[in-house]
Amino acid sequence: MSKSEQITRTVGKPPILAVALLAVVFAFGLFIVGFDQGHIFSVIQGVDAYEELYIHELTHDMRHAAGFPCH
Amino acid sequence: MKTIVFIAIVLASGAIAGLVHGTVNFAIVEPYLDQAIGIENQNLFASGEEEDTLEFWAEYESYRIWQKSGQVLAGVILGLAMGSLFGIVFALSRNSLPGKNDISKAVFLSVIMWVTIYLIPFLKYPANPPTVGDGETVVLRAILYLSFIAISGLSVVVFYKLSKKLNGNKKYLALAGYAGLMVITFVAMPDNPDEITAPMNLVNEFRFVSVLGVSSFWACVGITLGFFWKKFDKTPQMEYS
Repeated sequence: MSKSEQITRTVGKPPILAVALLAVVFAFGLFIVGFDQGHIFSVIQGVDAYEELYIHELTHDMRHAAGFPCH
Repeated sequence: MKTIVFIAIVLASGAIAGLVHGTVNFAIVEPYLDQAIGIENQNLFASGEEEDTLEFWAEYESYRIWQKSGQVLAGVILGLAMGSLFGIVFALSRNSLPGKNDISKAVFLSVIMWVTIYLIPFLKYPANPPTVGDGETVVLRAILYLSFIAISGLSVVVFYKLSKKLNGNKKYLALAGYAGLMVITFVAMPDNPDEITAPMNLVNEFRFVSVLGVSSFWACVGITLGFFWKKFDKTPQMEYS
């Protein structure tokens, strides 16, 4: 009995799915560290998140150190 | 290379470089942040917005610890983000990058990205410590900073593609075009609207250590991804399966 196997290879360019996943990581990570002012936690905390600013405070020192606008 | 391996090495190299960035910042940037926040507190007392009480310092210590402890974690998150961008660009450009192996190719690209999406925008909109920066202008400043990064990053891609269509010394025209566009952008874009009220020696020293921190990331991400790529990719031309 013979067994056939098919291998799909793409030469030169990375798969779109991988690029899309990494692009999401890029955008989300950049937003968390550089720009969040309570937006992400507001999904579960409501408007209080804009006062508490947990993520802003957590990333505060890196935000300044990496050159992002702050305050 | 398997797609899952590609994603894994990109994320791992970003996280490692981010860990280095956060650790470097913790060692050399934090003292300047403490100094700047100290000035900020004195300004609050002088203006009457806050009172120099035990309650104030108790609250201050609690959130300051939270801020400091986030330095390394935020470094890893930012490393994952910027490492992902670096991985995408490296994967798309690897076959045309100069260099004898993946490490030298990745280091070359990291230098290009360090210059174009960090150093040049930094010269127009340098990092500032706490106490410099008005909360009312933060959105405008974010738009200006991101715009400069986007203009620089996208135009380097455009001029690179243009250079591929030119022969011999004409390739330098693309480099000159990029440099010219950056000069125009630098002059045309508005300055940071906030006045610097902190001592300039503190601001300048903070900016210097800030550059060292970010540079540690770009140096590390290039070397790390290049090393991983060399280790896990055995094909002469990039292949994904």
